[in-house]
Amino acid sequence: MNETNTPLQKHETGIAGLDHATQGGLPAGQATLILGQAAAGKTVLGLQVLARAIERGEGGVFVTFEESPGQVKRDALSFDWGASLLESNRWQLIDARPRLGVEVAGEFDIEGLLSIVAAAIAQTDASWVVFDGIDQLLQYQPNPRVAIDQIRQINEHCEDRGWTMLLTGKATGDSMAPAHLEGIEFLLSATLVLSARIVNQQLNRTLRIAKFRGSGHVTSELPMVIDAEGIQLPYHEALPSGGVLTRNERLSTGIERLDSLLGGGIYRGSSLLISGRPGTAKSTLAGSFAQAAAQRGERTLYVSFDELEGSYVRNLISVGIDLRAPIEAGLIYFLSLSAFASQVSEHFLALRRALDAFSPDCLVIDPISALLKAGAVEGANMATERLIDLARRRGITTVLTSLSGVQDPEGEATQGQVSTLADSWIVLDYNVRAGERNRSLSIVKSRGTAHSNQQRELVLSPSGVTLADVYEHGTEVLMGTARKARKIEEQEEEHRRERKRQQRRTEIEQRLAQVDQERQRLTSELEQEIVDSTETDYQEGVYREQIKQQRAPLGESSALHGDDDAHNDKGDPQ
Amino acid sequence: MSFPHQAGESSMPLLTLFVTGTAPRSQRARVNLAQMLNRIGRSDIQPYEIDLLEQPGQGITHSVFATPSLVKANETGEVSVLYGDLSDEERLSHFLADLARSG
Repeated sequence: MNETNTPLQKHETGIAGLDHATQGGLPAGQATLILGQAAAGKTVLGLQVLARAIERGEGGVFVTFEESPGQVKRDALSFDWGASLLESNRWQLIDARPRLGVEVAGEFDIEGLLSIVAAAIAQTDASWVVFDGIDQLLQYQPNPRVAIDQIRQINEHCEDRGWTMLLTGKATGDSMAPAHLEGIEFLLSATLVLSARIVNQQLNRTLRIAKFRGSGHVTSELPMVIDAEGIQLPYHEALPSGGVLTRNERLSTGIERLDSLLGGGIYRGSSLLISGRPGTAKSTLAGSFAQAAAQRGERTLYVSFDELEGSYVRNLISVGIDLRAPIEAGLIYFLSLSAFASQVSEHFLALRRALDAFSPDCLVIDPISALLKAGAVEGANMATERLIDLARRRGITTVLTSLSGVQDPEGEATQGQVSTLADSWIVLDYNVRAGERNRSLSIVKSRGTAHSNQQRELVLSPSGVTLADVYEHGTEVLMGTARKARKIEEQEEEHRRERKRQQRRTEIEQRLAQVDQERQRLTSELEQEIVDSTETDYQEGVYREQIKQQRAPLGESSALHGDDDAHNDKGDPQ
Repeated sequence: MSFPHQAGESSMPLLTLFVTGTAPRSQRARVNLAQMLNRIGRSDIQPYEIDLLEQPGQGITHSVFATPSLVKANETGEVSVLYGDLSDEERLSHFLADLARSG
């Protein structure tokens, strides 16, 4: 073959996640090695690829070298595509198990096998061929080198005939090839490795594209789920790209004052994380948001982890939030999931299917942190990230709650990536003071919004949820009774001050009046003084005159003058 | 989905050699088998030959996917299979031991 003129053609597998991760499917007209330990999903993968091919109108041949045909059929029937696969005549199941007790007396060829398969392909017009467990046949080859050559022969046969083949084999340890077939991974252009490991008592499935010559592909281990629909790579299905306009519309949280703190609510299509310790009213806020959405006539997918619909709805009624009516009206679809029951990737899959089925305007997950309890914990952050991404791409406004540790209300450690990914982040907490707990709310971040940095008190009552301004007292923030008490104290203080001021004013006025009186008194005293002194002067003048007149004939004498200093210098005769 | 059984195993000839055309290993098997039958004094047995290139359905019917393969059916219908070009004389003679004419 002239490979430079033959660009790599891909054959879609019909497994959306795998087609996405491989950018279009597996190499067409070639064999792809599927490696995995027992029960890793190799046979399922092969059957599912055939089932999907048959749905598209193609055909297939499944050659089983290990499981009995009955077992293969039972495998297929455990999936929802199994029955239609078994009914179809567009495929053939060939039982190529080596006979029991087979002996070997020399090397053998596989042309016979290929001839049998070619005949089956001709009958079914097959495009896909699955060789499930060919190592079971080739292990009888006395010389491993011959077995490896025969894999090459199979691959060349595929190229010549245009067959697209899945060649499964049992992985042994870390080896990239089945036992007896070391090195075949180098011969084939693509290798998928399936694994099923137990992590925290839970089965953790992954698929890895170990090799894909000439094609871009996702190289990391992809979390894999096997459920009724078969193999799924939940995080790797193509996401709707673009198309979602960034909207400036604000959606109410159902709490008027919170909306105003957020600059009018949260943006449509954005995500809000509400985190807090147990009992800080995370669910109340989430419920309030859903109720507000229902009042606008919008649809909300409401996912509750570990709490049943009945009790959840009832609990919210006690704070004036009614989800029952919108649930009955079909505006809220309540999905109750058990975190422990499944793996993170299975939860993700369930959520994605619910999003597909219900196509909501809003999504509430209470609490998203429950994913950390599910199996395959290391996938929780990825699941959350994908979920936020998925919702955003679909223009769904998302409210996630997250339970944080008692010691760590902002809980960076448990939040994982969520707080970074979410557009807005509200932290709820309680302050304990004066023998009571009071709920507080603060907005840690709100992208694209001037938001208040003030902590507020969250007040729950049967009539609903409100925010109260907290009382600042020096560097402290007071809430609840302390806030009320402090308020009353302050009012009294104010009164006291006012009274004091009044009193002082009165005092000053009184003093002023006193001073006025004094002034009047002094004025009149002054006047009296003037009158008095004028009189005295006059009397004195009169007296002097009299003396002068008496003395004049006898000459000058001051002997009778009482005021001696005024006259001494005049020369006292003594 | 699978080929219908065209022949029951009980109706099989005593020895059947599955081959693929003139492939070298098939050729060797023919020679090795003939020599061994001769050696054990059973050159009277004429092995029935099935060429899977021409009759692929026979491979499914008899569950033979490796060529060459020697299939032996005894009177009770019990079938045993020997894979390979029969170059391992010891294995081959052991496989055919019950057919050997003592003497």
